[in-house]
Amino acid sequence: MFTGENIIQIVSGFLHWAYAQVGISALAGAIDPVITAIVMFGFISVFVMFLVWMERKVSAHMQSRIGPNRVGPFGLLQTVADAIKLTTKEDVKPVNRDKIPYFIAPIVAFVATFMGMVVIPFDKGMVVQDLNVGILYIIAITGFTVIAILTAGWSSNNKFALLGGFRSAAQIISYEVPLVLSVVPIIMITGTLSLSGIVEYQQQAGYWFIFPQIVAFIIFITSATAEANRAPFDIPEAESELIGGFHTEYSGVKFAMFFLGEYIAVVVSSAVAVTLFLGGWLPVAFLGFLHLPGFIWFLIKLVSVIYLVMAFRWTFPRLRVDQLMDFGWKVLIPLSILNILITASVWLLLYGKGAQ
Amino acid sequence: MTDLLLSQVKVGGESQFGTDEYVVNLGPQHPATHGVLRLIVKLDGETVKETVPVLGYLHRSIEKICENRTYPQCITYTDRIDYVSAMSVNYAFALATEKLMNIEAPARAQWLRMIFIELQRLASHLLWMGAFAGDIGALTPFLYGLRERERILDLFEMTCGQRLTYNYIRIGGVMIDILPDFVSKCIAFLDYFEPKIDEYEDLLTYNPIFLERTKGVGVISPEMGINAGVCGPSLRGSGIACDVRKQQPYLYYDQVKFAECIETAGDCWSRYKVRMREMRESVSIIRQSLERLEPGPIEAKMPPVLKAPLNSEIYSRIESSRGEMGVYLVGDGTAKPWKAKFRCASFSNLYVLDQLTKGWKVADIMAVLGSLDMIVPEVDR
Amino acid sequence: MTNEELKSKIEVDFKNDIQTVIISAQKEAIVTVSPEHYVALCQKLCEEKEYFFNHLSSLTAIDFPKENKITVVSHLWSYKHFHQLTIKVVADRSNPKVATLENIWKSANWFEREVFDLYGVVFEGHSDLRRIMMPDDYKKFPLRKDFADDGFIVKPS
Repeated sequence: MFTGENIIQIVSGFLHWAYAQVGISALAGAIDPVITAIVMFGFISVFVMFLVWMERKVSAHMQSRIGPNRVGPFGLLQTVADAIKLTTKEDVKPVNRDKIPYFIAPIVAFVATFMGMVVIPFDKGMVVQDLNVGILYIIAITGFTVIAILTAGWSSNNKFALLGGFRSAAQIISYEVPLVLSVVPIIMITGTLSLSGIVEYQQQAGYWFIFPQIVAFIIFITSATAEANRAPFDIPEAESELIGGFHTEYSGVKFAMFFLGEYIAVVVSSAVAVTLFLGGWLPVAFLGFLHLPGFIWFLIKLVSVIYLVMAFRWTFPRLRVDQLMDFGWKVLIPLSILNILITASVWLLLYGKGAQ
Repeated sequence: MTDLLLSQVKVGGESQFGTDEYVVNLGPQHPATHGVLRLIVKLDGETVKETVPVLGYLHRSIEKICENRTYPQCITYTDRIDYVSAMSVNYAFALATEKLMNIEAPARAQWLRMIFIELQRLASHLLWMGAFAGDIGALTPFLYGLRERERILDLFEMTCGQRLTYNYIRIGGVMIDILPDFVSKCIAFLDYFEPKIDEYEDLLTYNPIFLERTKGVGVISPEMGINAGVCGPSLRGSGIACDVRKQQPYLYYDQVKFAECIETAGDCWSRYKVRMREMRESVSIIRQSLERLEPGPIEAKMPPVLKAPLNSEIYSRIESSRGEMGVYLVGDGTAKPWKAKFRCASFSNLYVLDQLTKGWKVADIMAVLGSLDMIVPEVDR
Repeated sequence: MTNEELKSKIEVDFKNDIQTVIISAQKEAIVTVSPEHYVALCQKLCEEKEYFFNHLSSLTAIDFPKENKITVVSHLWSYKHFHQLTIKVVADRSNPKVATLENIWKSANWFEREVFDLYGVVFEGHSDLRRIMMPDDYKKFPLRKDFADDGFIVKPS
């Protein structure tokens, strides 16, 4: 069967044959991760471009428009055209910027979110590095974006950018807490921090965690949307209030990096949601006869979750900053703590001590 | 202005780090100000301490231009006063001139004017709804609003050839008669449009985030509203009956049945709700007017050169899409007005912005500004 | 009240304050008031129950260079009684000064700023008398009849 593991074996077999031909077999241990990273980068870039196109089509559909339809079939190459435009465009920089942070901020924003992809298991064994603290790693690394955004807001020397940066800091710190707390019940049940381990637990248990943990799923999706600065939580870049928020003064490639960073953040958080709550690469039970490879299942689920996040954006108005904080601290955090308590109690009642 | 920009507030005198007020310049180029309005906002963190509107970026002195034009020529300029609701302003000027010169437009022209003014009200409210939702962060209703507005503009284009500045309502009548299939097309549009209002309301009215953002925000109390000169739908949101169509009927508004839409809370949501309900009333007015439309002349008999009597003056008011629209004309016996004054709803509505936003957050400025239905060319003229 | 009733009532009530009260050819009641009684009259018109002109609909000015006067015109409306009244007060054109109505109707604030900006009428007691349309450092008054700016054609043919 054509599964993720098979593909990895075939590819690595080919690579090692190629190394032997060139005579660098001794360096395989060093080159393998590099090639994986490059492949990963390419895949994610293409996927994100597809997502940008998809977002435009989704929004067009919801707004009864047509959307991009000129470049390529169904406008699929529109994003490529946009990317070319952005990269070839003049990089307008404010004169009184803080030069080094201004330069570093978009890179940090892009890289930090991108590095989250490292531990996402697309299929059994199809993962760049299966860390045993995968969840911790993802939460830590995506938290980096707040530094990038704050730096961008500060170094642009623009009042709107600074306001956006501060809003973003307040928002991401507030929503980091429910995000982590919503994951805790799953860690309690499975007893592992590894993402592959969690999927394997779901395989053995025979159910996805969305069913016992629907509350946690909702909290997770909400907080992840807020983490990625997506509407209705897009107050750091609220265009009707702060023009562009923290990226007001960025243009060209740097803007593109923020823009792609936002989409990658959506991909990462949706991928984590799929892994934790929707059974990762596991097939949908009643569609099991299709015998699709695991990573196809994963991508199908991923795109569905992303569609959900996109639908939020084009339906809801934006929350005000104090309402956002209220919602985070007064609703989501108590709810997620309650969820932990209930999960723990039920688990204890069902399985007694030493359930694991 | 300088003292405002330079003013500083020191907190915690002993600390070597003082805290300054954060003075932000919203506009004149800003997505939320719907044109070239400039707001100087003093912030304490996210909290607004003062909002100072700076006007005049679109000041074209239309009143001065009108003094140098003949009365029929002025109509063209009135289009530019409120380009989102040009028919209303056309009519406001035509009404004042007709009263000044004792001209009575024929019945068909009056009914046509009513139809077009109410269609214009629909178009204006649709654009407002989209812009208001956009200010709050919901981008989708804007497209929905424009979708229906296009069809109204098609009706206008079919009749007078223009889509934005019509110059259709003239002194003593209208420019040209409607085409034979206008009535059927208009009814078809109304049949299509009425269910769409429910669609907008489904999307927005009771959306929890929308309620959070608009309920209780920017409350205009009735006393303050009247005293500060707020008018039109914005004042009706505070529970004051102030519809000029009811209080000082012009055209044939006393012959059609429609309700004056009044909400009592005075917040942004009430103002939103008033306008949504007004759309339904406008549809009903248009339907009644289309039934009453009878063949006849569309222009009154007038002298070739329109001259106002010496020392004559008139102040006439209509209910434009944004509220009370007053035109003050002084005649001096020649073909040009000695003085023309346009009293615009946006101008007086904008005055309360500072009071409404004090103590609220930055985002509320946009909500309040949007809910007041302000349009910059009307403010600056 | 109809305009005729308004006229006769004002004639009786404010005999000493007003200069003239007429019904114009366009059937509007127009009161001309002497400057010293201007604010007191407006105060009474706003507050007394029978008049109750709670809405200052418009406030503007007319320039008469030949008579050397600027007339400040305000239009009142009552949301309760549905009647309209025009109040005129005459100011000297070379040094126009009129008392402010801001303490009666807040809406007068911006109307008066506009008149100050475009006609140069100084409203005494106004809380914030700055230019509103023109730039702060502008020297001329555009709506005066003798206004001519560089590049502005006064009378196009």
